[in-house]
Amino acid sequence: MSVSTHTVELTGVGKRYGRARALTDVDLAFGRGVTGLLGPNGAGKTTLLRIVATSIAADSGEVRLLGRDPHSSFADVTAVRRELGYLPQELGYPSDMTAFGFVEYVAVLKEWNDREARSQEVRRVLELVGLADQAPVRISRLSGGQRRRVGLAQALLGDPRLVVLDEPTTGLDPAQRADLRRTLSALGHRSAVLLSTHQTEDVAALCERVVVLAGGTVRFDGAVTDLVATAQGRVWLADETGDDALVSCRTGSGRHHVVGGTPPTGEDIAEPSLEDAYLLMLGPEARRVHAPG
Amino acid sequence: MSSLTLPVSGSAGQRAMAVIEARRMARQPVFLVGVGLGYLVLAIFLALDHDPYAPVVLTLPLVGAFYIGLTSVIAAAWLTRSTEVAVEAVATAPGTEARRTLALAAAGLPPFVAGLVFSAGIVVAAQVLGVAPQEWWFGTLPDWQVWSLLLMCPVACLDGALLGVLAGRWLRFRGAPAMVLVALIVVSLLGQVPLLDTSSSEWRLWVPWAVFHTGDNADGTQTLIAGNPGAYLGYLLALGVLAVLGAMWHDRAARTPRFRVLAASVAVAALALLALAVTTGNHDNRISDPIPSRATR
Repeated sequence: MSVSTHTVELTGVGKRYGRARALTDVDLAFGRGVTGLLGPNGAGKTTLLRIVATSIAADSGEVRLLGRDPHSSFADVTAVRRELGYLPQELGYPSDMTAFGFVEYVAVLKEWNDREARSQEVRRVLELVGLADQAPVRISRLSGGQRRRVGLAQALLGDPRLVVLDEPTTGLDPAQRADLRRTLSALGHRSAVLLSTHQTEDVAALCERVVVLAGGTVRFDGAVTDLVATAQGRVWLADETGDDALVSCRTGSGRHHVVGGTPPTGEDIAEPSLEDAYLLMLGPEARRVHAPG
Repeated sequence: MSSLTLPVSGSAGQRAMAVIEARRMARQPVFLVGVGLGYLVLAIFLALDHDPYAPVVLTLPLVGAFYIGLTSVIAAAWLTRSTEVAVEAVATAPGTEARRTLALAAAGLPPFVAGLVFSAGIVVAAQVLGVAPQEWWFGTLPDWQVWSLLLMCPVACLDGALLGVLAGRWLRFRGAPAMVLVALIVVSLLGQVPLLDTSSSEWRLWVPWAVFHTGDNADGTQTLIAGNPGAYLGYLLALGVLAVLGAMWHDRAARTPRFRVLAASVAVAALALLALAVTTGNHDNRISDPIPSRATR
Protein backbone atom coordinates (compact mmCIF):
# COMPACT_ATOMS: atom_id res chain seq x y z
CA MET A 1 0.00 0.00 0.00
CA SER A 2 1.43 3.37 -1.04
CA VAL A 3 1.60 6.12 1.54
CA SER A 4 0.52 9.50 0.29
CA THR A 5 2.70 12.50 1.03
CA HIS A 6 -0.18 14.87 0.47
CA THR A 7 -1.81 16.56 3.42
CA VAL A 8 -5.05 16.99 1.54
CA GLU A 9 -6.41 14.65 -1.12
CA LEU A 10 -9.80 15.19 -2.72
CA THR A 11 -10.93 12.75 -5.40
CA GLY A 12 -14.12 13.28 -7.36
CA VAL A 13 -15.59 15.40 -4.60
CA GLY A 14 -19.08 16.74 -5.15
CA LYS A 15 -21.49 18.74 -3.04
CA ARG A 16 -25.00 19.94 -3.67
CA TYR A 17 -27.38 22.19 -1.83
CA GLY A 18 -30.81 21.06 -2.88
CA ARG A 19 -30.82 21.17 -6.66
CA ALA A 20 -27.81 23.44 -6.90
CA ARG A 21 -24.48 21.74 -7.47
CA ALA A 22 -21.84 23.64 -5.53
CA LEU A 23 -18.96 21.32 -6.45
CA THR A 24 -18.64 18.74 -9.21
CA ASP A 25 -15.89 16.13 -9.49
CA VAL A 26 -13.21 18.14 -7.78
CA ASP A 27 -9.79 16.51 -7.71
CA LEU A 28 -7.21 18.24 -5.60
CA ALA A 29 -4.10 17.18 -3.74
CA PHE A 30 -1.54 19.28 -1.97
CA GLY A 31 0.95 19.17 0.87
CA ARG A 32 3.18 21.64 2.60
CA GLY A 33 3.20 25.13 1.11
CA VAL A 34 0.65 27.77 0.37
CA THR A 35 -2.05 26.96 -2.19
CA GLY A 36 -4.25 29.78 -3.40
CA LEU A 37 -7.87 29.25 -4.33
CA LEU A 38 -9.30 31.75 -6.80
CA GLY A 39 -12.73 32.00 -8.28
CA PRO A 40 -15.70 34.31 -8.70
CA ASN A 41 -18.50 34.53 -6.17
CA GLY A 42 -20.55 31.36 -6.21
CA ALA A 43 -17.71 29.28 -7.64
CA GLY A 44 -17.75 26.88 -4.70
CA LYS A 45 -14.63 28.13 -2.94
CA THR A 46 -16.20 28.37 0.50
CA THR A 47 -17.86 24.98 0.08
CA LEU A 48 -14.53 23.45 -0.83
CA LEU A 49 -12.83 25.11 2.11
CA ARG A 50 -15.53 23.94 4.48
CA ILE A 51 -15.11 20.38 3.28
CA VAL A 52 -11.36 20.54 3.83
CA ALA A 53 -11.97 22.13 7.24
CA THR A 54 -14.32 19.24 8.17
CA SER A 55 -17.13 21.71 8.73
CA ILE A 56 -19.33 19.88 6.22
CA ALA A 57 -19.15 16.54 4.48
CA ALA A 58 -18.93 16.01 0.75
CA ASP A 59 -21.88 14.28 -0.89
CA SER A 60 -19.68 12.23 -3.19
CA GLY A 61 -16.06 11.40 -3.78
CA GLU A 62 -13.28 10.76 -1.38
CA VAL A 63 -11.70 13.15 1.08
CA ARG A 64 -8.48 12.36 2.87
CA LEU A 65 -6.95 14.83 5.28
CA LEU A 66 -3.64 14.16 6.98
CA GLY A 67 -3.94 10.56 5.82
CA ARG A 68 -7.41 10.02 7.31
CA ASP A 69 -10.98 10.00 6.14
CA PRO A 70 -12.45 12.67 8.41
CA HIS A 71 -15.97 11.29 8.22
CA SER A 72 -15.28 7.62 8.79
CA SER A 73 -15.29 7.86 12.57
CA PHE A 74 -15.35 10.29 15.45
CA ALA A 75 -11.78 9.33 16.31
CA ASP A 76 -10.57 10.17 12.80
CA VAL A 77 -12.29 13.53 12.59
CA THR A 78 -11.01 14.43 16.05
CA ALA A 79 -7.47 13.43 15.05
CA VAL A 80 -7.72 15.65 11.97
CA ARG A 81 -9.18 18.57 13.91
CA ARG A 82 -6.34 18.38 16.40
CA GLU A 83 -4.00 19.45 13.60
CA LEU A 84 -6.31 21.81 11.79
CA GLY A 85 -6.72 25.57 11.90
CA TYR A 86 -9.69 27.18 10.18
CA LEU A 87 -10.67 30.77 9.54
CA PRO A 88 -14.21 30.85 8.10
CA GLN A 89 -15.35 33.48 5.66
CA GLU A 90 -17.74 34.87 8.23
CA LEU A 91 -16.83 34.50 11.85
CA GLY A 92 -18.94 35.88 14.65
CA TYR A 93 -17.53 36.63 18.05
CA PRO A 94 -19.12 36.59 21.52
CA SER A 95 -19.38 40.30 22.20
CA ASP A 96 -18.44 40.00 25.86
CA MET A 97 -15.09 38.38 25.13
CA THR A 98 -11.77 40.11 24.75
CA ALA A 99 -9.39 39.20 21.95
CA PHE A 100 -7.33 37.19 24.42
CA GLY A 101 -10.44 35.59 25.94
CA PHE A 102 -11.79 34.39 22.62
CA VAL A 103 -8.51 32.96 21.38
CA GLU A 104 -8.03 31.35 24.78
CA TYR A 105 -11.50 29.79 24.54
CA VAL A 106 -10.60 28.25 21.20
CA ALA A 107 -7.27 27.14 22.66
CA VAL A 108 -9.16 25.25 25.35
CA LEU A 109 -11.31 23.63 22.67
CA LYS A 110 -8.08 22.71 20.92
CA GLU A 111 -7.03 20.94 24.08
CA TRP A 112 -4.45 23.34 25.42
CA ASN A 113 -5.19 22.20 28.94
CA ASP A 114 -2.18 23.58 30.77
CA ARG A 115 -3.08 27.13 31.76
CA GLU A 116 0.40 28.61 31.55
CA ALA A 117 1.23 26.97 28.22
CA ARG A 118 -2.15 28.02 26.89
CA SER A 119 -1.67 31.65 27.89
CA GLN A 120 1.76 31.68 26.28
CA GLU A 121 0.43 30.22 23.06
CA VAL A 122 -2.45 32.71 22.94
CA ARG A 123 -0.03 35.59 23.42
CA ARG A 124 2.22 34.15 20.72
CA VAL A 125 -0.47 33.97 18.05
CA LEU A 126 -1.86 37.38 18.95
CA GLU A 127 1.66 38.77 18.58
CA LEU A 128 1.97 36.98 15.25
CA VAL A 129 -1.07 38.82 13.87
CA GLY A 130 -0.07 42.14 15.40
CA LEU A 131 -2.69 42.24 18.15
CA ALA A 132 -0.54 41.87 21.25
CA ASP A 133 -1.57 45.34 22.47
CA GLN A 134 -5.26 44.70 21.81
CA ALA A 135 -5.35 41.43 23.75
CA PRO A 136 -7.36 42.83 26.67
CA VAL A 137 -9.73 44.81 24.43
CA ARG A 138 -13.27 43.57 23.90
CA ILE A 139 -13.76 42.24 20.41
CA SER A 140 -16.86 44.41 20.02
CA ARG A 141 -14.56 47.43 20.22
CA LEU A 142 -12.11 46.26 17.59
CA SER A 143 -12.20 47.32 13.96
CA GLY A 144 -13.25 44.92 11.22
CA GLY A 145 -9.65 44.26 10.24
CA GLN A 146 -8.63 43.63 13.83
CA ARG A 147 -11.48 41.19 14.30
CA ARG A 148 -10.35 39.38 11.19
CA ARG A 149 -6.92 39.09 12.71
CA VAL A 150 -8.39 37.67 15.92
CA GLY A 151 -10.00 35.04 13.73
CA LEU A 152 -6.67 34.37 12.06
CA ALA A 153 -4.95 34.09 15.44
CA GLN A 154 -7.27 31.32 16.59
CA ALA A 155 -6.61 29.47 13.32
CA LEU A 156 -2.86 29.59 13.96
CA LEU A 157 -3.00 28.12 17.45
CA GLY A 158 -0.54 25.29 17.85
CA ASP A 159 1.04 25.71 14.40
CA PRO A 160 -1.42 23.27 12.81
CA ARG A 161 -0.30 21.02 9.97
CA LEU A 162 -3.30 22.03 7.91
CA VAL A 163 -4.51 25.62 7.79
CA VAL A 164 -7.64 26.63 5.89
CA LEU A 165 -8.23 30.35 5.46
CA ASP A 166 -11.30 31.79 3.76
CA GLU A 167 -10.50 35.31 2.62
CA PRO A 168 -8.05 36.09 5.42
CA THR A 169 -7.10 39.51 4.04
CA THR A 170 -10.60 40.95 4.08
CA GLY A 171 -10.60 44.28 5.88
CA LEU A 172 -6.82 44.48 6.16
CA ASP A 173 -4.91 47.54 5.02
CA PRO A 174 -1.88 47.11 2.73
CA ALA A 175 0.63 47.10 5.58
CA GLN A 176 -1.37 44.47 7.46
CA ARG A 177 -1.69 42.42 4.30
CA ALA A 178 2.08 42.53 3.87
CA ASP A 179 2.51 41.36 7.49
CA LEU A 180 0.03 38.58 6.96
CA ARG A 181 1.82 37.45 3.81
CA ARG A 182 5.05 37.16 5.75
CA THR A 183 3.31 35.16 8.46
CA LEU A 184 1.63 32.81 6.02
CA SER A 185 4.78 32.42 3.98
CA ALA A 186 6.66 31.26 7.06
CA LEU A 187 3.76 29.02 7.99
CA GLY A 188 3.84 27.45 4.54
CA HIS A 189 7.29 26.05 5.25
CA ARG A 190 5.84 23.88 8.00
CA SER A 191 2.19 23.43 7.11
CA ALA A 192 -0.19 22.93 4.23
CA VAL A 193 -2.07 26.21 3.82
CA LEU A 194 -5.12 26.56 1.62
CA LEU A 195 -6.31 30.09 1.28
CA SER A 196 -9.15 31.55 -0.67
CA THR A 197 -9.03 35.16 -1.73
CA HIS A 198 -10.34 37.63 -4.24
CA GLN A 199 -7.02 39.42 -4.19
CA THR A 200 -4.90 37.97 -6.99
CA GLU A 201 -1.93 39.95 -5.77
CA ASP A 202 -2.05 37.98 -2.51
CA VAL A 203 -1.90 34.77 -4.48
CA ALA A 204 0.86 36.11 -6.67
CA ALA A 205 2.92 37.17 -3.66
CA LEU A 206 2.29 34.18 -1.49
CA CYS A 207 1.40 31.02 -3.37
CA GLU A 208 3.50 28.61 -5.33
CA ARG A 209 0.37 26.97 -6.54
CA VAL A 210 -3.05 28.19 -7.51
CA VAL A 211 -6.37 26.50 -8.11
CA VAL A 212 -9.01 28.32 -10.12
CA LEU A 213 -12.53 27.25 -9.35
CA ALA A 214 -15.56 28.34 -11.35
CA GLY A 215 -19.03 26.88 -11.52
CA GLY A 216 -18.06 24.23 -9.00
CA THR A 217 -15.32 22.74 -11.14
CA VAL A 218 -11.57 23.13 -11.22
CA ARG A 219 -10.50 25.18 -14.24
CA PHE A 220 -6.83 25.30 -13.41
CA ASP A 221 -4.55 23.61 -10.92
CA GLY A 222 -0.86 24.29 -11.13
CA ALA A 223 1.96 26.71 -10.56
CA VAL A 224 1.18 30.40 -10.44
CA THR A 225 3.79 31.01 -13.15
CA ASP A 226 2.10 28.47 -15.41
CA LEU A 227 -1.23 30.24 -15.03
CA VAL A 228 0.37 33.58 -15.82
CA ALA A 229 2.06 32.02 -18.85
CA THR A 230 -1.34 31.16 -20.34
CA ALA A 231 -2.00 34.88 -20.73
CA GLN A 232 1.25 35.56 -22.59
CA GLY A 233 0.55 37.47 -25.78
CA ARG A 234 -3.06 38.13 -24.89
CA VAL A 235 -2.68 41.30 -22.87
CA TRP A 236 -1.98 44.71 -24.37
CA LEU A 237 -1.56 48.36 -23.62
CA ALA A 238 -3.41 50.30 -26.30
CA ASP A 239 -4.70 53.74 -27.13
CA GLU A 240 -8.23 52.47 -27.48
CA THR A 241 -10.24 49.82 -25.78
CA GLY A 242 -10.74 46.63 -27.75
CA ASP A 243 -14.30 46.03 -28.98
CA ASP A 244 -14.28 42.37 -28.14
CA ALA A 245 -11.94 42.61 -25.17
CA LEU A 246 -12.73 40.43 -22.23
CA VAL A 247 -11.80 43.17 -19.82
CA SER A 248 -10.50 46.63 -20.51
CA CYS A 249 -9.65 49.46 -18.17
CA ARG A 250 -7.98 52.82 -18.42
CA THR A 251 -4.63 53.09 -16.68
CA GLY A 252 -3.07 56.08 -14.98
CA SER A 253 -1.03 56.81 -18.11
CA GLY A 254 -4.20 57.28 -20.12
CA ARG A 255 -3.72 54.12 -22.16
CA HIS A 256 -6.02 51.11 -21.92
CA HIS A 257 -5.06 47.82 -20.35
CA VAL A 258 -6.79 45.31 -22.60
CA VAL A 259 -7.20 41.65 -21.78
CA GLY A 260 -8.30 39.14 -24.40
CA GLY A 261 -10.11 39.57 -27.69
CA THR A 262 -8.42 40.74 -30.91
CA PRO A 263 -5.38 43.02 -30.62
CA PRO A 264 -6.64 46.61 -30.50
CA THR A 265 -5.28 49.46 -32.58
CA GLY A 266 -1.85 50.78 -31.62
CA GLU A 267 -1.25 48.01 -29.16
CA ASP A 268 1.86 47.11 -27.26
CA ILE A 269 2.15 43.64 -25.80
CA ALA A 270 2.02 43.90 -22.02
CA GLU A 271 3.44 41.59 -19.43
CA PRO A 272 0.40 39.73 -18.06
CA SER A 273 -0.38 39.66 -14.38
CA LEU A 274 -1.96 36.83 -12.47
CA GLU A 275 -5.20 38.75 -12.52
CA ASP A 276 -5.11 38.95 -16.32
CA ALA A 277 -4.51 35.23 -16.57
CA TYR A 278 -7.28 34.54 -14.07
CA LEU A 279 -9.75 36.67 -16.02
CA LEU A 280 -8.80 34.95 -19.25
CA MET A 281 -9.29 31.61 -17.51
CA LEU A 282 -12.80 32.63 -16.51
CA GLY A 283 -13.51 33.54 -20.11
CA PRO A 284 -16.98 35.03 -20.76
CA GLU A 285 -17.79 34.76 -17.06
CA ALA A 286 -15.21 37.45 -16.51
CA ARG A 287 -17.42 39.90 -18.43
CA ARG A 288 -20.31 39.11 -16.13
CA VAL A 289 -18.41 39.44 -12.89
CA HIS A 290 -15.84 42.03 -13.89
CA ALA A 291 -17.46 44.69 -16.05
CA PRO A 292 -15.12 46.64 -18.38
CA GLY A 293 -13.88 49.88 -16.81
CA MET B 1 8.30 28.79 17.84
CA SER B 2 5.73 27.27 20.21
CA SER B 3 5.78 23.72 21.40
CA LEU B 4 4.03 21.53 18.89
CA THR B 5 3.05 18.95 21.49
CA LEU B 6 -0.69 18.50 21.41
CA PRO B 7 -2.19 17.86 24.84
CA VAL B 8 -4.54 14.92 25.21
CA SER B 9 -8.18 15.83 25.75
CA GLY B 10 -9.78 14.95 29.05
CA SER B 11 -11.33 16.34 32.19
CA ALA B 12 -8.68 19.07 32.47
CA GLY B 13 -9.93 20.62 29.24
CA GLN B 14 -13.53 20.29 30.35
CA ARG B 15 -12.67 22.01 33.63
CA ALA B 16 -10.92 24.83 31.80
CA MET B 17 -13.98 25.37 29.59
CA ALA B 18 -16.25 25.29 32.63
CA VAL B 19 -14.13 27.92 34.40
CA ILE B 20 -14.34 30.19 31.35
CA GLU B 21 -18.12 29.88 31.19
CA ALA B 22 -18.58 30.37 34.93
CA ARG B 23 -16.43 33.52 34.78
CA ARG B 24 -18.41 34.85 31.83
CA MET B 25 -21.64 34.28 33.74
CA ALA B 26 -20.29 35.99 36.84
CA ARG B 27 -19.57 39.09 34.71
CA GLN B 28 -22.83 38.99 32.74
CA PRO B 29 -24.65 42.33 33.27
CA VAL B 30 -28.16 40.86 33.40
CA PHE B 31 -27.08 38.37 36.06
CA LEU B 32 -25.33 41.05 38.08
CA VAL B 33 -28.42 43.26 37.95
CA GLY B 34 -30.51 40.34 39.22
CA VAL B 35 -28.13 39.68 42.10
CA GLY B 36 -27.98 43.35 43.00
CA LEU B 37 -31.75 43.74 42.94
CA GLY B 38 -32.29 40.60 44.98
CA TYR B 39 -29.93 41.67 47.73
CA LEU B 40 -31.28 45.21 47.67
CA VAL B 41 -34.89 44.09 48.02
CA LEU B 42 -33.92 41.77 50.88
CA ALA B 43 -32.05 44.55 52.65
CA ILE B 44 -34.92 47.02 52.19
CA PHE B 45 -37.45 44.45 53.35
CA LEU B 46 -35.48 43.72 56.48
CA ALA B 47 -34.71 47.37 57.17
CA LEU B 48 -38.20 48.77 56.65
CA ASP B 49 -40.16 46.11 58.44
CA HIS B 50 -41.42 47.41 61.78
CA ASP B 51 -41.90 43.99 63.29
CA PRO B 52 -39.62 43.34 66.28
CA TYR B 53 -38.57 40.03 64.70
CA ALA B 54 -37.18 38.98 61.30
CA PRO B 55 -40.17 38.96 58.98
CA VAL B 56 -41.57 35.80 57.33
CA VAL B 57 -38.14 34.24 56.97
CA LEU B 58 -39.20 31.16 55.01
CA THR B 59 -40.79 33.22 52.23
CA LEU B 60 -37.65 35.26 51.70
CA PRO B 61 -35.85 32.57 49.64
CA LEU B 62 -38.50 33.25 47.01
CA VAL B 63 -37.16 36.78 46.63
CA GLY B 64 -33.71 35.45 45.78
CA ALA B 65 -35.12 32.81 43.46
CA PHE B 66 -37.16 35.47 41.69
CA TYR B 67 -34.50 38.07 41.07
CA ILE B 68 -31.42 35.88 40.70
CA GLY B 69 -33.04 32.77 39.26
CA LEU B 70 -35.13 34.52 36.62
CA THR B 71 -32.35 36.82 35.42
CA SER B 72 -30.07 33.79 35.24
CA VAL B 73 -32.42 32.28 32.64
CA ILE B 74 -31.83 35.27 30.38
CA ALA B 75 -28.12 35.54 31.12
CA ALA B 76 -27.38 31.85 30.54
CA ALA B 77 -29.43 31.77 27.35
CA TRP B 78 -27.49 34.73 26.04
CA LEU B 79 -24.21 33.13 27.03
CA THR B 80 -25.11 29.92 25.20
CA ARG B 81 -26.13 31.70 22.02
CA SER B 82 -23.20 34.12 22.09
CA THR B 83 -20.64 31.33 21.93
CA GLU B 84 -22.40 29.73 19.00
CA VAL B 85 -21.98 32.81 16.82
CA ALA B 86 -18.45 31.49 16.38
CA VAL B 87 -19.74 27.98 15.67
CA GLU B 88 -18.09 27.76 12.28
CA ALA B 89 -14.67 28.00 13.92
CA VAL B 90 -15.33 26.22 17.22
CA ALA B 91 -17.14 23.32 15.58
CA THR B 92 -13.96 22.40 13.70
CA ALA B 93 -11.97 22.15 16.90
CA PRO B 94 -11.67 18.77 18.63
CA GLY B 95 -14.54 18.03 20.94
CA THR B 96 -18.22 18.23 20.40
CA GLU B 97 -21.10 20.58 20.89
CA ALA B 98 -22.23 18.33 23.75
CA ARG B 99 -18.95 18.91 25.58
CA ARG B 100 -19.29 22.65 25.09
CA THR B 101 -22.84 22.43 26.46
CA LEU B 102 -21.65 20.51 29.48
CA ALA B 103 -19.11 23.26 30.12
CA LEU B 104 -21.91 25.82 29.83
CA ALA B 105 -23.67 24.08 32.72
CA ALA B 106 -20.94 25.60 34.88
CA ALA B 107 -22.63 28.92 34.18
CA GLY B 108 -25.05 27.78 36.87
CA LEU B 109 -22.39 28.03 39.55
CA PRO B 110 -22.37 31.82 40.03
CA PRO B 111 -26.18 31.94 40.42
CA PHE B 112 -26.02 28.99 42.80
CA VAL B 113 -23.40 30.71 44.93
CA ALA B 114 -25.33 33.99 44.81
CA GLY B 115 -28.44 32.14 45.97
CA LEU B 116 -26.52 30.39 48.70
CA VAL B 117 -25.21 33.71 49.99
CA PHE B 118 -28.76 35.06 49.84
CA SER B 119 -30.07 32.21 51.98
CA ALA B 120 -27.11 32.55 54.34
CA GLY B 121 -28.06 36.21 54.68
CA ILE B 122 -31.56 35.20 55.71
CA VAL B 123 -30.18 32.88 58.39
CA VAL B 124 -27.84 35.59 59.69
CA ALA B 125 -30.68 38.15 59.72
CA ALA B 126 -32.87 35.68 61.61
CA GLN B 127 -30.10 35.14 64.15
CA VAL B 128 -29.50 38.85 64.61
CA LEU B 129 -33.11 40.04 64.62
CA GLY B 130 -34.58 36.97 66.23
CA VAL B 131 -37.59 35.03 64.99
CA ALA B 132 -41.10 35.09 66.45
CA PRO B 133 -41.67 31.90 68.46
CA GLN B 134 -44.78 31.12 66.38
CA GLU B 135 -42.97 31.53 63.06
CA TRP B 136 -42.34 28.47 60.90
CA TRP B 137 -38.62 28.12 61.53
CA PHE B 138 -36.12 26.02 63.47
CA GLY B 139 -37.94 24.80 66.54
CA THR B 140 -41.42 24.80 65.04
CA LEU B 141 -40.38 22.67 62.06
CA PRO B 142 -37.93 19.80 61.70
CA ASP B 143 -34.49 21.16 60.86
CA TRP B 144 -34.31 19.25 57.55
CA GLN B 145 -37.48 20.96 56.36
CA VAL B 146 -36.14 24.42 57.20
CA TRP B 147 -32.80 23.71 55.45
CA SER B 148 -34.65 22.34 52.44
CA LEU B 149 -36.73 25.47 52.16
CA LEU B 150 -33.68 27.70 52.53
CA LEU B 151 -31.76 25.72 49.91
CA MET B 152 -34.58 26.14 47.41
CA CYS B 153 -33.23 29.61 46.69
CA PRO B 154 -29.77 28.55 45.43
CA VAL B 155 -31.20 25.50 43.66
CA ALA B 156 -33.83 27.63 41.92
CA CYS B 157 -31.08 30.05 40.88
CA LEU B 158 -28.99 27.16 39.53
CA ASP B 159 -31.96 25.69 37.69
CA GLY B 160 -32.75 29.08 36.20
CA ALA B 161 -29.32 29.18 34.59
CA LEU B 162 -29.60 25.59 33.37
CA LEU B 163 -33.01 26.34 31.88
CA GLY B 164 -31.34 29.27 30.13
CA VAL B 165 -28.71 26.95 28.63
CA LEU B 166 -31.48 24.64 27.40
CA ALA B 167 -33.38 27.55 25.89
CA GLY B 168 -30.22 28.99 24.33
CA ARG B 169 -29.39 25.67 22.66
CA TRP B 170 -32.80 24.95 21.18
CA LEU B 171 -34.52 28.28 20.66
CA ARG B 172 -32.75 30.56 18.22
CA PHE B 173 -35.38 33.21 17.59
CA ARG B 174 -35.20 36.70 19.02
CA GLY B 175 -36.89 37.06 22.39
CA ALA B 176 -36.82 33.33 23.11
CA PRO B 177 -35.29 33.66 26.60
CA ALA B 178 -37.89 36.23 27.61
CA MET B 179 -40.64 33.95 26.33
CA VAL B 180 -39.24 31.05 28.34
CA LEU B 181 -39.19 33.27 31.40
CA VAL B 182 -42.81 34.29 30.98
CA ALA B 183 -43.79 30.67 30.34
CA LEU B 184 -42.00 29.60 33.52
CA ILE B 185 -43.84 32.19 35.60
CA VAL B 186 -47.22 31.47 34.02
CA VAL B 187 -46.86 27.70 34.39
CA SER B 188 -45.67 28.04 37.99
CA LEU B 189 -48.55 30.32 38.92
CA LEU B 190 -51.32 28.51 37.06
CA GLY B 191 -50.04 25.13 38.20
CA GLN B 192 -50.14 25.88 41.89
CA VAL B 193 -52.22 28.91 42.86
CA PRO B 194 -55.61 27.18 42.39
CA LEU B 195 -54.41 24.31 44.59
CA LEU B 196 -52.79 26.18 47.47
CA ASP B 197 -55.88 26.45 49.67
CA THR B 198 -57.23 22.99 48.88
CA SER B 199 -56.77 19.57 50.43
CA SER B 200 -54.83 18.54 47.32
CA SER B 201 -52.21 21.27 47.58
CA GLU B 202 -49.39 18.73 47.45
CA TRP B 203 -50.20 18.10 43.77
CA ARG B 204 -48.85 21.54 42.97
CA LEU B 205 -45.32 20.19 43.40
CA TRP B 206 -44.92 19.25 39.73
CA VAL B 207 -44.30 22.94 38.92
CA PRO B 208 -40.64 23.98 38.84
CA TRP B 209 -41.14 26.81 41.30
CA ALA B 210 -43.50 25.69 44.02
CA VAL B 211 -44.13 27.77 47.13
CA PHE B 212 -44.22 26.13 50.54
CA HIS B 213 -44.93 29.19 52.63
CA THR B 214 -47.57 31.81 51.87
CA GLY B 215 -46.29 34.51 54.21
CA ASP B 216 -48.42 36.12 56.92
CA ASN B 217 -52.15 35.59 56.77
CA ALA B 218 -54.48 38.42 57.82
CA ASP B 219 -54.98 36.88 61.23
CA GLY B 220 -51.24 36.72 61.89
CA THR B 221 -50.91 32.99 61.24
CA GLN B 222 -48.69 31.46 58.59
CA THR B 223 -49.55 28.57 56.29
CA LEU B 224 -47.05 25.87 55.43
CA ILE B 225 -48.25 24.18 52.28
CA ALA B 226 -48.29 20.39 52.16
CA GLY B 227 -45.51 18.28 50.70
CA ASN B 228 -42.00 17.08 51.42
CA PRO B 229 -39.60 19.99 50.82
CA GLY B 230 -36.54 17.75 50.97
CA ALA B 231 -37.79 15.46 48.23
CA TYR B 232 -38.95 18.48 46.25
CA LEU B 233 -35.44 19.89 46.44
CA GLY B 234 -34.18 16.65 44.95
CA TYR B 235 -36.83 16.90 42.25
CA LEU B 236 -35.62 20.42 41.38
CA LEU B 237 -32.03 19.19 41.14
CA ALA B 238 -33.13 16.36 38.86
CA LEU B 239 -34.97 18.91 36.67
CA GLY B 240 -31.73 20.88 36.44
CA VAL B 241 -29.84 17.79 35.30
CA LEU B 242 -32.58 17.07 32.76
CA ALA B 243 -32.22 20.62 31.44
CA VAL B 244 -28.51 20.03 30.84
CA LEU B 245 -29.13 16.66 29.21
CA GLY B 246 -31.83 18.24 27.06
CA ALA B 247 -29.38 20.90 25.94
CA MET B 248 -26.75 18.24 25.16
CA TRP B 249 -29.36 16.31 23.16
CA HIS B 250 -29.17 19.11 20.60
CA ASP B 251 -25.89 17.54 19.43
CA ARG B 252 -26.91 14.51 17.38
CA ALA B 253 -23.54 12.89 17.97
CA ALA B 254 -24.30 12.84 21.70
CA ARG B 255 -27.42 10.69 21.34
CA THR B 256 -25.64 7.43 22.10
CA PRO B 257 -27.39 4.50 23.78
CA ARG B 258 -25.53 5.32 26.99
CA PHE B 259 -26.74 8.90 26.90
CA ARG B 260 -30.33 7.78 26.34
CA VAL B 261 -30.11 5.44 29.33
CA LEU B 262 -28.69 8.25 31.45
CA ALA B 263 -31.45 10.66 30.42
CA ALA B 264 -34.13 8.05 31.06
CA SER B 265 -32.64 7.26 34.47
CA VAL B 266 -32.64 10.91 35.50
CA ALA B 267 -36.21 11.30 34.28
CA VAL B 268 -37.28 8.29 36.32
CA ALA B 269 -35.41 9.66 39.35
CA ALA B 270 -37.16 13.02 38.92
CA LEU B 271 -40.54 11.32 38.82
CA ALA B 272 -39.67 9.21 41.87
CA LEU B 273 -38.61 12.31 43.79
CA LEU B 274 -41.78 14.09 42.75
CA ALA B 275 -43.82 11.13 43.98
CA LEU B 276 -41.94 11.25 47.28
CA ALA B 277 -42.48 14.99 47.58
CA VAL B 278 -46.22 14.59 47.01
CA THR B 279 -46.82 11.52 49.19
CA THR B 280 -44.51 12.11 52.14
CA GLY B 281 -43.71 15.02 54.44
CA ASN B 282 -46.59 17.24 55.52
CA HIS B 283 -49.79 15.62 54.30
CA ASP B 284 -51.95 18.71 54.75
CA ASN B 285 -51.42 22.42 54.94
CA ARG B 286 -50.30 23.44 58.40
CA ILE B 287 -51.36 26.66 60.07
CA SER B 288 -49.07 28.20 62.67
CA ASP B 289 -50.16 29.89 65.87
CA PRO B 290 -50.93 33.57 65.30
CA ILE B 291 -48.12 36.05 65.69
CA PRO B 292 -49.78 38.96 67.50
CA SER B 293 -47.70 41.69 65.83
CA ARG B 294 -48.61 40.43 62.34
CA ALA B 295 -52.40 40.34 62.65
CA THR B 296 -54.15 42.97 60.55
CA ARG B 297 -57.68 42.02 61.63
